[in-house]
Amino acid sequence: MLTRMGWYPVVALTALAFGFFFATQLRSQLIPPSNQVARNQALVSTVQRLERDNAGSRARIGQLRGEVADLEKVAAQRSDSSQRLAGEVADLRAHAGLTRVHGPGETVLIGNGKPNPSAPAGTAYLVDVQDVQDVVNLLYQGGAEAVSVNGRRISPGSRIQGSGGAVVIDQDPPLQAPFQVAAVGNRAQMEALLAEPASLGDLKRRQRDYNLQVSWQGAGDLSLPASDATLAVSYAHVP
Amino acid sequence: MSLDRRPRAPFVTVGLVVLVVTALTVIQVRSQAEVARSLSGQDNASLAFLIDDLHSSNDQLAQEEQTLAGQRDALRSGGASVVDAQLSAEAQRLRIIEGLEPVTGPGVTISVDAPLNEIDLQDAVNNLRNGGAEAIIVAGRRVVTGSVIRRLGDGLEIDGQPAEGPWTFSAVGDPAQLAAAADLMTRSLRADPRVRSAGYLLSPALTLTATLRLRPFVYALSQ
Repeated sequence: MLTRMGWYPVVALTALAFGFFFATQLRSQLIPPSNQVARNQALVSTVQRLERDNAGSRARIGQLRGEVADLEKVAAQRSDSSQRLAGEVADLRAHAGLTRVHGPGETVLIGNGKPNPSAPAGTAYLVDVQDVQDVVNLLYQGGAEAVSVNGRRISPGSRIQGSGGAVVIDQDPPLQAPFQVAAVGNRAQMEALLAEPASLGDLKRRQRDYNLQVSWQGAGDLSLPASDATLAVSYAHVP
Repeated sequence: MSLDRRPRAPFVTVGLVVLVVTALTVIQVRSQAEVARSLSGQDNASLAFLIDDLHSSNDQLAQEEQTLAGQRDALRSGGASVVDAQLSAEAQRLRIIEGLEPVTGPGVTISVDAPLNEIDLQDAVNNLRNGGAEAIIVAGRRVVTGSVIRRLGDGLEIDGQPAEGPWTFSAVGDPAQLAAAADLMTRSLRADPRVRSAGYLLSPALTLTATLRLRPFVYALSQ
C-alpha cells in the first residue's frame, strides 16, 4: 500500500518516461532524419576530399611548371633561336602571372560588416564577389602589374565568380571574407586612387552604413605567388 | 485504501514539471548534437553544387598536369627542333591568353544599343569570361582580366583608348557556354529601361583582332 508521498516518485518516473517519448517523437519530425544527416556528412567528406585533391593538383602544377622552366633554361643554351624563344616565353609567363613576383605594393583588406537595424534588410553587410572584382579593377586602374586575392594570383585569363559570400577564382575552392587583395605596382598612384571619394563608392557607403571593413596598407616589398591555375586555350587559335 | 481527491493536484504538477523539463533537455541536447554534425551548416543542395564545381575544376587541373608533364618529357628527351617547336607553341598560347595575337574560333557577338557605363562594360566582360570566353573584344578593343575600363569625362575608355556605343561585345570560346551566357545577358539587358535593343549572334568562326601590347613591368620583379 502506497502512502501519499510514495506516489510522487511513481508519477515522476512515469512523466520522465513520457517526456523522453514525446521529445523523441517531436525531434524526429523537427530535425532532418538521420539518413539525411548521414547524407550531409557524406557530402561534406566528399567536398573535403575534392579540396585535398585540388590542393594536391595545384601543388604538382607549380612543381611541373618549375621543372619545365628549368629544362627550358638548359635547352636555351643549345642555340640562339632556342635562347631567344626561351627569353620570350619567360617574359610572357611573367605577364601571365605564372612566375612569383615582388616589389612595392598595396594590400586592400575588405571584410564583412554587421546588419544595421535602421537600414533595409538584406546582405549588404556582407562582402561579395562584386566587391572583390571592384577592388581588383581599381588596383589595375591604379597601375598594378600583378594582383592576388587571398594568395591566389590573378592572370589575364582569370575568372572571378561566386555567389553569396563565396568567391571562386579560376579552379580554386571558394574563398570567404575577409579578402586581402594585394597588388605590386606604383604605390603612390594606387593609394591616391583608393583614397578618392568616388572610388569604391558602394563599398565605402556600406562601410559607413554597415561597418564593413575597408582599409589599405602600402609595403616597400610585397611578394605575390605564381598562379597555379590552368591557362588552357581550347577553342581560340591563331588564324 | 483509495486515494482521495486532494493529493491529485501536487501529483499532476510534479508530473507535468518533470515531463516538460525532460522533453526540453532532450530536445536541447539533440539539437546541439545535430548542429555540430552538420559542420558548416551548408545544405545538401549547396554541397552538391560545390562538389560538381570541384569535380570540374579538378578535371581541368588534371588536364593541365598532363600537358605540363608532356612538355617536361619532351624537353628531357627532345632535340633542338623539338625544344624550339615546344617553346614556339607555348609562346603562341601565352600570347593568345594575353590578348597579343588575333584569334579565330567559335564565338558570339552581342550588340547593345544603350548608354552603358563603365560598370556595365565590366559586368559584360566578367559574364563573358565566366561564360567560357577565351578571348574578348569590347567596342573594337581586345580586353583581358586586368584591362582598365573607366569613365573619363563624359565618355568611357578601355585601356586608355576612347570607346563608345552602340556597343558590341565579341567572344571566342566554348560555344555552348557562350550561347547560354549571351542569352542570359541579353534577357537581362532587355529588362533594363535604358536599353533600346539587345541581341546576339552565334558564329562558328569568329575572328578577333589583337589590340593589346605587352606592357613592360616597372615595379614587379620576377623571383
